[in-house]
Amino acid sequence: MNTYIWLVRREFWEYRAIWMCPAVIVCALMLAALFGRVEVAELGSPEGNSGMAGMALFAFGMIFFFVMTIYSSWYLLDCLNADRKDRSVLFWKSLPISDTAMVLAKLFTGLVAIPIVYFTAADLSALLMAFIISLRSHSSLGSALWQPDLWLQLQALWLYVIASIAIWYLPLAGWLMLISAWARRAVMLWSIMPPLAVVLAERLFLGTHVVEDLLRNRLAGYLAVAFHHQQGAGWVRTPLGGAGSIATPISVWRLLDPIGFFSSPATWIGVFVGAALVCGAVQLRLRSTEL
Amino acid sequence: MSETVPPLVQARGLSKKYGSRIALDHVNFSVEAGRIVGLIGPNGAGKTSALRAILGLTCYEGDLSVLGREPFGNRAALMLEATFIADIAVLPGWLRVDQAVDFLDGVHPQFRRERALAMLAKMQIAGRRRIRELSKGMKTLVHLALTMAIDAKLLVLDEPTLGLDILARRGFYDALVNDYMDATRSILITTHQVEEVENLLTDILFIDKGRIVLDCSLEQIAARYAAVAVSEEHVAAARAENPFYERPMPGKKVLYFEHPDFQRLASFGEVLTPSVSDLFVAKLS
Repeated sequence: MNTYIWLVRREFWEYRAIWMCPAVIVCALMLAALFGRVEVAELGSPEGNSGMAGMALFAFGMIFFFVMTIYSSWYLLDCLNADRKDRSVLFWKSLPISDTAMVLAKLFTGLVAIPIVYFTAADLSALLMAFIISLRSHSSLGSALWQPDLWLQLQALWLYVIASIAIWYLPLAGWLMLISAWARRAVMLWSIMPPLAVVLAERLFLGTHVVEDLLRNRLAGYLAVAFHHQQGAGWVRTPLGGAGSIATPISVWRLLDPIGFFSSPATWIGVFVGAALVCGAVQLRLRSTEL
Repeated sequence: MSETVPPLVQARGLSKKYGSRIALDHVNFSVEAGRIVGLIGPNGAGKTSALRAILGLTCYEGDLSVLGREPFGNRAALMLEATFIADIAVLPGWLRVDQAVDFLDGVHPQFRRERALAMLAKMQIAGRRRIRELSKGMKTLVHLALTMAIDAKLLVLDEPTLGLDILARRGFYDALVNDYMDATRSILITTHQVEEVENLLTDILFIDKGRIVLDCSLEQIAARYAAVAVSEEHVAAARAENPFYERPMPGKKVLYFEHPDFQRLASFGEVLTPSVSDLFVAKLS
């Protein structure tokens, strides 16, 4: 356990962007909140305000989530390649740490530790933003931001997202690590080209798109599996200043679908495939000592 | 000593193939406790393959036991008692010296933090420096300091001073002999720069084309080998003694003999014990 803590700490030393990147976003958002123009329409109903406040906080989270997804993918693709490139892999291998432990620590970093850092940064910036906006706007939106229930919901949403994306995207993480452990160079290309080639070959020669659907369902199917997506009862429609309107759930609890997520066969097939790919990365790590 | 203590490294019929290329061809050797063994051979002779096998970094055929274990698949356990420096500049550039010390202290039960800090202080290396900011020689010395702070029974060095200038190389070996070596430890070192290690070795293993061509201790060399500088008129008579190598010198030839009759050789000229580098050239030519 102690070794794992050191291994994850090591990743934070090597990849300083893990915490610098979210720190920069927090600072940028703070500057925007402090000096940007705040034009928030006063909305009629309290439900509408509460919905808007929730959406605002959620939108901040989405910024972090988006950057986190890109960074985390890149990290997983680089993590077993970088130390082979600079040949420091032999230094790490001169220590009493198994290859399995090294790979698992990196998997944990990419799939859990990095999301937690971003989640914390999102929370922190939401808190600061809410504070600044409520000071500046003097509107009922300001007070709408300070609802304990809203914050609780947001925490629950983030934690659910962290846990469920780690599980859902395990096969993706496994694939990226396998390529990272295997490829000598051009990891990005190697991670994209083979699946793309299979998809194109299937279309060209068989005229079908089984693999394409599989990949698409995995990459884009997360929201559909992990969340209730039908709007209806429990959703409020808020007219915006212009012509459109925005639909928001009254409560985040109506959104999460853990039972559906954990009972979906797709979830567990993904876990199985992901575990196999991670095992493959460990085997490659065991054998390959240099580029 | 060697009768009671099992050798730290024991290889029997050790083989390694890369595709159709044979890197090690049924090699037998052993490393006893308290020895400094030089595994010496030209480039591509199989040195690195042998070390990789010993360190559990690669799979192999044949029997190999290191500290009582089969190395491949047991590398993590093996590294509690053995450690290695594989090449220059293998410490990652982003690592700070104090981070390296903290990390080793955290993960390695045999790491002696105080010893590492004392050695780094002696080298005047500040803890906040990143490895990439250090010169090549400094990097190697930092790596050596970290490695020497590990209480290991077996230290393996693979071309540790490659690319270093003469001062850094001398510093490296001085630190190794003065601050590290004692009767309980063994060092296995590979190099193709024989001259630089021959004064510190206790045993030599010559390897060429995947085979061991010479395996003996330095004490045995004097009993087994002789070099005689023979003037031109005695060359024919000396050749009758079966030299395995001849080297021309101005006005004479140096002849090398294995298991010679020392008294007879004395009649041709002064009998000397060949140096390790002479022997290396003689054996591999």
